[in-house]
Amino acid sequence: MKLLTHNLLSSHVRGVGSRGFPLRLQATEVRINPVEFNPDFVARMIPKVEWAALLEAADTVPKGPIEGYEHDEKFLRQMHHVLLEVDVLEGTLQCPESGRLFPISRGIPNMLLSDEETET
Amino acid sequence: MREVRVRLAATQVEYISGKVFFTTCSDLNMLKKLKSAERLFLLIKKQFPLKVSSVSKGNIFNEMQRLVNDGPESWLSAISIWKNLLELDAKKDKLSQRDANPLKRKVGENDVSNPKKLKTEQMQELQESRECRLEKQMEEETAEQGDFLMNREKSQEAFQNEVVKAADDPSQKDLTFRVSCRCSGAIAKTFTAQEVGRVIGIALMKQFGWKADLRNPNLEIFIHLNDIYSVVGIPVFRVPLASRAYIKTTGLRSTIAWAMASLAEIKAGAFVLDPMCGLGTILLEAAKEWPDVYYVGADVSDSQLLGAYDNLKAAGLQDKIELLKVSVTELPLPSESVDVIISDIPFGKKFKLGKDIKNILQEMERVLHVGGTIVLLLNNDHHRRLQDCEQSGIPLNSKGSPTDEPGIEECMSPREKTDLSDTVSSSSEASSQGGLDKMPPVGSLVPVECYQVSLGRTEAFICKYRKSHSLGL
Repeated sequence: MKLLTHNLLSSHVRGVGSRGFPLRLQATEVRINPVEFNPDFVARMIPKVEWAALLEAADTVPKGPIEGYEHDEKFLRQMHHVLLEVDVLEGTLQCPESGRLFPISRGIPNMLLSDEETET
Repeated sequence: MREVRVRLAATQVEYISGKVFFTTCSDLNMLKKLKSAERLFLLIKKQFPLKVSSVSKGNIFNEMQRLVNDGPESWLSAISIWKNLLELDAKKDKLSQRDANPLKRKVGENDVSNPKKLKTEQMQELQESRECRLEKQMEEETAEQGDFLMNREKSQEAFQNEVVKAADDPSQKDLTFRVSCRCSGAIAKTFTAQEVGRVIGIALMKQFGWKADLRNPNLEIFIHLNDIYSVVGIPVFRVPLASRAYIKTTGLRSTIAWAMASLAEIKAGAFVLDPMCGLGTILLEAAKEWPDVYYVGADVSDSQLLGAYDNLKAAGLQDKIELLKVSVTELPLPSESVDVIISDIPFGKKFKLGKDIKNILQEMERVLHVGGTIVLLLNNDHHRRLQDCEQSGIPLNSKGSPTDEPGIEECMSPREKTDLSDTVSSSSEASSQGGLDKMPPVGSLVPVECYQVSLGRTEAFICKYRKSHSLGL
């Protein structure tokens, strides 16, 4: 699971609503995948990123998008590394409100809720 | 049809009852890249249907023989084009085989003089098997060689290998062939496919001196006779186009998957979701064609996700496509975050659909950006149900806030309202007029296009929707 994905996931446990984001990430196994750097693609992803969530999840992240980031290759490469090259293989995601744990196994987070847990 | 025009700069494109006829001068590589067709044939003859007179079978046999005998040049020229195409292919294969040996050496020695691409691959810390790495390098090599081929052909260099020679030596006389026949319509009532095949086969043997070989022929000839046309052709590739080299296990037919992806208006930097991805066929086709996009696939079944992961690895696309184990009715994504949703709604025969299609659509609608598109593959039941809802004008907001309906009315000006219902009435087939009676099936999703497709034995519909405005929450 890449950090870009973690940035989008939120908890759907009943009653939690918007407080289900961001999920707290506990990684037990991480792999760094080299991924082809595509500056255009990264630049397009930047506006979609929730920075607070990203700062919580990763260590070495710039504090926020800097002015003119589209052309700042160093910045884009950093973001590229953080968002796309860090792959969490095993770990858990925790709903900050309810405490419910979602396991990550073989890189795939399991966010299925039982019937009682879902909001209807 | 659109694909043929765009990819191959084809001229004289015609669509007749399930077949697309076109003329092009592209090379084999481009032809190989056609994604929306199942098979590709080189056309020998296309003419009006054979008339079935009830008088005598003999007459019709004569007509069929004429297919072969009239204008043998068209046969011969088609055969020579076909042979040229195959020779190019064979050359390429031979080249890549010869390069396999030096490549193996390179992998072993970590040769520094490799071009940049090969270098990055060797630096990967992945535990890819050697064959896999070898494959990737070979692909790149053949791509480069492909360019050289054109030049070398002209200068007739010493890449003459046995394969090419063997193809040249036997004159056209020694071709072995097999005739495959398909008959439908009036003709089928009078003749069986075997009879027609036999007649044509005998005529060919008489005319060209070829020999028939049913098991492993050089040349396969396809004949399709029906009420609209009589068509004769030779398949260009040994394997149907629809079987993709990069997909290990397919769920949905790859041609349909590609077609759905191309309808979805995927742009660079988009976020594309398949909330019931199964083995990931749709995402794979899309990622191959539009690589600079963020793809996410979701499924509730472990086995499907494992299969999908295998597919991704086999195709080398695991960096482009992320997988999640989530339910489509409870997508853990923020509202309005997705640009494109493409999905094959499970038909119920293979997999059970636990929740109602309305719920699914609602969740899809929630996460979709305004202006985003949804392309779905629906079976007859689902399609009918959605159309019924359109016509009866009941918004399917059974779940979620009841403020949706009045919310929609509030944020639209009266002019917009009529516009919305106009689009709905023009794209659905209902004949009733009227402004606000007809609401789109789910809140703000406006149907854009709908195509009926055949999946072999069953039929289905590809439906495209666009989200016109946000839900008033």
